[in-house]
Amino acid sequence: MPLADLPLLEPGASADVLLQAGDFLGAGVLTVGTALEVSGWNRWLEAATGWTAAEVVGRPLLDVFPGLGGSRGETAFRRALAGETVVMSHRFHEFLLPMPSDPAFPGFERMQQSARIAPLLSAGRTAGAVALIQDVTERVAREAELRAALERAEIASQAKSDFMAAMSHELRTPLGAIIGYSDLLETEVVGPLSEVQKQHMRRVKSGAWHLLGIIEEILTFSRVDAGREPVYPEPVDAGAVAADAVALVDPQARQKGLALRVILGEAPVALVTDPGKLRQILVNLLGNAVKFTHAGGVELRIWAEPERVCFRVTDTGPGIPPEHMERIFEPFTQVDSAHTRVQGGTGLGLPVSRRLARLLGGDLEVASTLGEGSRFTATIPLVPPAAPEPAAAERAP
Amino acid sequence: MNLTDLETDALNELFNIGLHRAAASLSELTGKRVEVDLPRLWVCSIDELKDRLAEVISGDLATVHQFFGGPVAGDAVLLLEYDKAVRLADALTGGEVALGGRLDQSAREVLAEIGNVVLSSCLAAFGNVLHVAVSFAVPRIHVESLDGMLRSVVIDREQGIPYALVAATRFGMTELEISGYMIVVIGVRSLERVSEALAAKVR
Repeated sequence: MPLADLPLLEPGASADVLLQAGDFLGAGVLTVGTALEVSGWNRWLEAATGWTAAEVVGRPLLDVFPGLGGSRGETAFRRALAGETVVMSHRFHEFLLPMPSDPAFPGFERMQQSARIAPLLSAGRTAGAVALIQDVTERVAREAELRAALERAEIASQAKSDFMAAMSHELRTPLGAIIGYSDLLETEVVGPLSEVQKQHMRRVKSGAWHLLGIIEEILTFSRVDAGREPVYPEPVDAGAVAADAVALVDPQARQKGLALRVILGEAPVALVTDPGKLRQILVNLLGNAVKFTHAGGVELRIWAEPERVCFRVTDTGPGIPPEHMERIFEPFTQVDSAHTRVQGGTGLGLPVSRRLARLLGGDLEVASTLGEGSRFTATIPLVPPAAPEPAAAERAP
Repeated sequence: MNLTDLETDALNELFNIGLHRAAASLSELTGKRVEVDLPRLWVCSIDELKDRLAEVISGDLATVHQFFGGPVAGDAVLLLEYDKAVRLADALTGGEVALGGRLDQSAREVLAEIGNVVLSSCLAAFGNVLHVAVSFAVPRIHVESLDGMLRSVVIDREQGIPYALVAATRFGMTELEISGYMIVVIGVRSLERVSEALAAKVR
């Protein structure tokens, strides 16, 4: 047992050392005898209270501090005299010893103190108690500021998420009109279109669909981030979901002359998960792979492990520098911001995919070699973990 | 080291009294109902203790250690998972100190005080029942893993005896969704003295 941890303090000469040590450490040291009479009073206490040791030593503690009578402070001293060591945080006591207010901290009427009170032993018997008193006013004030700042930041972040969700929704509504009326015009029900007009109409629609995709991505991201994305698990055939995802990305791959391959074992891979979210993950991964790969191909390999199913998308793209490997899962990040202009996109595809994979009880990992390509592996449990919702719901305000 | 049935019964009763008093203090501090399981008692090595605790508790822990000395020496530990510790500090301070899911200095001090009150009442019960003077050190609060926590448990280290008597109980405050463990570890040398004191009492 470390000796220093035990209250083996001898009164007398060693008590004087304690008083000095208190001054050295910037703390108040007060010692009392077995009848609760003040026996030691260091300079720190002299400065804090304005009372000299000569004025205080020898007087009953409760006479010096009448406010202590009947308080937990008095109990603490009595417990120390009975051999216990007592900790008093500022929170429950605010101040152990009544002291003049400090003009530097106008929010507090008195100095905020925390204290430790321990027995003083002499030849194995309790001969008194020693209190070590710290002024924590500044620390408490700083913590209060930090808490206020944190609260403001949380409110701001929530406001940002709410704004994003609301804006995305507002943007989606007029897009519905743009796409719908473009369709209508294209059918020529309301009048014939010239070839040039048709071509312009197709460009309007293609732009509108692209914008819709981006808005959907932002909406999903803000919902998942706010813990408001519901999960609807059902029995799913991994191969069928993968085929859906591949069909959506295939036109882009063909356009770029890239080979898009799916490698799946002979036996069907069945799992219970949310098929919409799994499809969204795969579309994001395949879409990204096609977007960033200029020559070669993209491969989706699916296999089952005892408790989970793995979906691995491998490309022959430029690869990701190691220092950016985790950053790609941060929202609004593309490895090279110059890419943003060339490649387009919100930079939310991977962050959304990882969050969705985790929402389904799995994860999304990346491995990459610069200049050779990247490999994204999504692992999804065979059965969803028991009720992940309550925790997420609790986080939402 | 083996205990006789009578010793085991007596020790169970002793820890039962101590840990229940600790729970009563916790209830008084929080103003909430505290449920306590029957304490479990075993003599084991520190490694075994780790295995047993690892089954029920994980992640970062907030622990308050209160070493005690005298004829019976050891370590009393209040052990909470980190987020539960934050919740407890929150509950006791009206969300004032632990906001943001972290334990700042003030929150740690609040927990140290809670640990102090809870563990002291347990250890005081020991002293009263056994009629031995138990002296307590200043409690220390740690945020650590289970491994770290067990490394910092102090038992007869100078005698190099890695075995200890461990009494552990789970407590829960349903209203606050907080549960944790109270553990008292005493070295084998101290255990002999406890046995003697108990035998004297039985006689």
